[in-house]
Amino acid sequence: MSSDIILQVNNLNVWYEDFHAVKGITVGYPEKSISAIIGPSGCGKSTFLRCLNRIYEEVPGAKATGEIILEGKNILDKSVDPVELRRRIGMVFQKPNPFPAMSILDNVTIGLRLQGIKDKSYLMNIAEQCLRKAALWDEVKDKLHKLGTSLSGGQQQRLCIARALAVNPPVLLMDEPTSALDPIASAKIEDLMSELKKEFTVIVVTHNMQQAARIADYTSFFVLGDLIEHGLSSDIFTNPKQQKTEDYITGRFG
Amino acid sequence: MTYLHWRKFKNIAFHASLYLAAIIVLLPLFLIVSYVFKMGASSLNLDFFLAFPKPVGEVGGGMRHAITGTLYLVAIASIISIPTGLLCGIYLSEFGKGKVANLLKFSIDMLTGVPSIIIGIFAYILIVVPLKGFSAMAGGVALSIIILPIVCRSTEEILKLIPQHIREAGLALGLPRWRVILNIVVKGNLSSLITGVMLAISRAAGETAPLLFTSFGNMYLSYRIDEPMASLPVQIYNYAISPFDDWRRQAWAGAFVLITIVLGINLLSRLLVKIGGLRHLIRRGIK
Ligand SMILES: Nc1ncnc2c1ncn2[C@@H]1O[C@H](COP(=O)(O)OP(=O)(O)OP(=O)(O)O)[C@@H](O)[C@H]1O
Ligand SMILES: [Mg+2]
Repeated sequence: MSSDIILQVNNLNVWYEDFHAVKGITVGYPEKSISAIIGPSGCGKSTFLRCLNRIYEEVPGAKATGEIILEGKNILDKSVDPVELRRRIGMVFQKPNPFPAMSILDNVTIGLRLQGIKDKSYLMNIAEQCLRKAALWDEVKDKLHKLGTSLSGGQQQRLCIARALAVNPPVLLMDEPTSALDPIASAKIEDLMSELKKEFTVIVVTHNMQQAARIADYTSFFVLGDLIEHGLSSDIFTNPKQQKTEDYITGRFG
Repeated sequence: MTYLHWRKFKNIAFHASLYLAAIIVLLPLFLIVSYVFKMGASSLNLDFFLAFPKPVGEVGGGMRHAITGTLYLVAIASIISIPTGLLCGIYLSEFGKGKVANLLKFSIDMLTGVPSIIIGIFAYILIVVPLKGFSAMAGGVALSIIILPIVCRSTEEILKLIPQHIREAGLALGLPRWRVILNIVVKGNLSSLITGVMLAISRAAGETAPLLFTSFGNMYLSYRIDEPMASLPVQIYNYAISPFDDWRRQAWAGAFVLITIVLGINLLSRLLVKIGGLRHLIRRGIK
């Protein structure tokens, strides 16, 4: 865990039309760490995360103000190319979304293939590595040419994780990556995140407080678009400063 | 009658009306196809495909020129309208916001509703009059105007069915938007898109009205784009209203061939939908 801030968010506000979904959030994410975002449903966790790779722009009527600084540049600035940005900040979505009419193998390698990499054995190698990391390899190694959409929901989510890993982004955003998984697969994904931390920065939304406490170095607690508290997970979960945080993590609120 | 009986009765009555509706839908198709097949098959011979028309009054001859002409006209129409229609549909589905898109959507809906004879007149004024003569070009253009909105709308509808989060997933991988559209959205639904295109083509193959005063028709084989060209529908029309038994026999044969072409394209397009799955089956077999 280093303390160099890789991603600094300053006074971020997001609106859907005139609905204020994220309210003036300021928070910094240190390099090579895992940060968790927790909070009750509908409090703007996904919305916040979707700003970090500017995928929020795909929602008509969504608008963001403030700063998100990556390597000295405000990525919300229109001069920043979202395509370049998203190669550096990968994302796993809340709902599994494998590509239609595409095999499991192609789903994992498409990011690389469309960047121009053609070497079959190299692609195969990466695919195996990423599927292993996503704890899916053993289940799909005999049917790599079957459709990605033919997998179960939990398997699809792990496929999406493998797909995001394949392009090797230094920052990885994960929106409830384990909510559709059984405890064993969840544990494997948690192991993966801890492993990723050695090289990458992971920001993960989760409803599972134990999970946040287990794997995250830092935790942010959101309520209704406000950041109530942010700090070391050890502090948030054992010694929260805000009454609301304490109520939430002890299950009295939310 | 107890409540249970009443419920069962409603269930049966509802099912029965569904079956009845299905039969009413299927019956005309079945009758047309079976009658044309019966009349057509007995009139069909090898000459019909290989020979050209005989002079008026002589028995025999065939419609080789009209079969060739129909394929030729449909090809011209396809070359014009398939790329345009696909691009237009992709535009509407992927970028279609704002005034221009709404105007385009509205125009396409209007175009779908324009009777085909009017489209024929339009092509007549646009091409036949300035060039001072009927031509295959004019016929091809008329057909292309008929199928353009079909291709465009079916493309748009198919692409719109693809959930937004699939596009987001592609963009989140750092792929440019055109890549996402082409390699994920379009490619992932290629077989349905092709189906839409083929259904439009089969529609063009059967049109008579717009060809009457565009490509007009002739009695010999022609490959010239600036000359009149025969087509099956027009040839059938001309022969069917003629007083000669042998021509009327050939009109049935023509109807048979035309309906086979149209149904054939339909079946083929349905087959294509399955090919996506088929390819995976084959690849799995090899592995
Ligand atoms: N596309 C949208 N258009 C309008 N409002 C939206 C849209 N997406 C989200 N919202 C609203 O923004 C708020 C925050 O939503 P968001 O999805 O970020 O919540 P969340 O914290 O991720 O919830 P969950 O834990 O249930 O996933 C909610 O009130 C939601 O209704
Ligand atoms: Mg969410």
